[in-house]
Amino acid sequence: MVEPSRRGANIYLSLLILAVTVIVQGTLLARTRFFGSSPNLLLVVVVCWSLLHTVSEGLLWAFVGGLGVDLIAGLPLGTTPLALMPTCFLAGLGRSSIFTNSVLLPALLVALATLIFGWINLIVLSARGVPVDWAGSTLRVMLPELALNVLLALVIYPFLRWLAAHIGAVRMEL
Amino acid sequence: MKRIANRTYLFFLLAAISLVLLILSSSDRLAPVEGGLARLAQPFLTVSNEIGRQISNVIGTARELTGLRSTNKQLLTQVDTLTIDNLRLKEVEAENARLRELLRFAQINPLSDYRGGQVIARVISRGPTNYLSSLTIDLGSQHGIKAGMPVVTERGLVGRIYKVGPTSSIVLPLTDPSSGVPAMVKRSSSRAVGMVNGKAGTPPVMEFIAQDADVSLGDEIITSGLGGNFPKGITIGQVLKVNKRDFDMYQEAVIRPTVNFNQLEFVLVITNFQPGEIESVG
Repeated sequence: MVEPSRRGANIYLSLLILAVTVIVQGTLLARTRFFGSSPNLLLVVVVCWSLLHTVSEGLLWAFVGGLGVDLIAGLPLGTTPLALMPTCFLAGLGRSSIFTNSVLLPALLVALATLIFGWINLIVLSARGVPVDWAGSTLRVMLPELALNVLLALVIYPFLRWLAAHIGAVRMEL
Repeated sequence: MKRIANRTYLFFLLAAISLVLLILSSSDRLAPVEGGLARLAQPFLTVSNEIGRQISNVIGTARELTGLRSTNKQLLTQVDTLTIDNLRLKEVEAENARLRELLRFAQINPLSDYRGGQVIARVISRGPTNYLSSLTIDLGSQHGIKAGMPVVTERGLVGRIYKVGPTSSIVLPLTDPSSGVPAMVKRSSSRAVGMVNGKAGTPPVMEFIAQDADVSLGDEIITSGLGGNFPKGITIGQVLKVNKRDFDMYQEAVIRPTVNFNQLEFVLVITNFQPGEIESVG
């Protein structure tokens, strides 16, 4: 059981991490283009955090962070949370794996989550009447983003694991 | 088991809230809230974007240095013979560049009253998602910015304003898949018209060009003014490739925009242009 004062501090820390993630995503990383795509830091952070902490907390991070991204991108509010939240369940499946301590598991989960996130985004765009090139977007947008996100996960995951260990015991979910 | 039920419940709750927000936001009912939040985030975005710009500059300079070193080596071998010619050419080049800028500005602004209506905005962030290319600028409704206003640089068309907050606005660039710009070939012997549409991960494509129209590599593409969303005559880009197949109803041309979207820092908003009806983009 986490004591109330520590829980309060954790909430502030979570909000700080999310705010920094969203701002870095919208400014620094948006300039970093490799093969036409930029990495999705928020997705990587949400998936890694769901894997390290709890899926419920990952869902909250996806919701709050996603709203922040929508605000910066000018997307209708709710678009990114809808695409991001299902990826937390994917991380939840990985939590029961014996490979949780390896960086390969988050890398694999981030790769899958990138595809799920991308396709949900395309579905939302399509539902809003935006013409969507499914094959083109998968090949030219998702695959480069997938590679970048996997590389980013290899860097971010150890840092978040250290952070998770310092702000509270990691609880197992079955 | 209980935890799984809890998180499923939480997921559906948050998804329901997201859906409600999506519906309200799409119908602009949350515009005041979004505007207020955008205003709150603006200083952080500006600072962070400035840091990003500095980092990009450092990386760019490092890349240039590598190229310059090899160029320098080559030039040193020719320096004795080319010094005089080089100096003369540099003078001509500088003069040429100045004249070209003036000419381009005159082409972009054929009517003098555009100049008075342009306001310079700083790009404070870029779209953080790969599925929508957007730019945020530091001008909003308080500065007279309205949705649909064209956004340009001295090099050509950037896009148009599609969401306005009190102190910031979001620009939909012509490279976004949901963007469509009525365009035409500038060459006087062609004047073929079409629609420049953004494509995911690739350069924009000018579509719906009549099969018998004359479009060639290197042709300059400008806005046609049809539809009333953009003023006529703003440079969009150059034809990179023409796709013409006998069995297609139309031919299409891949366009390289004249604006470098990766290095946009300042843009101009044409404030005295009254756009036609704006179709929904998001």
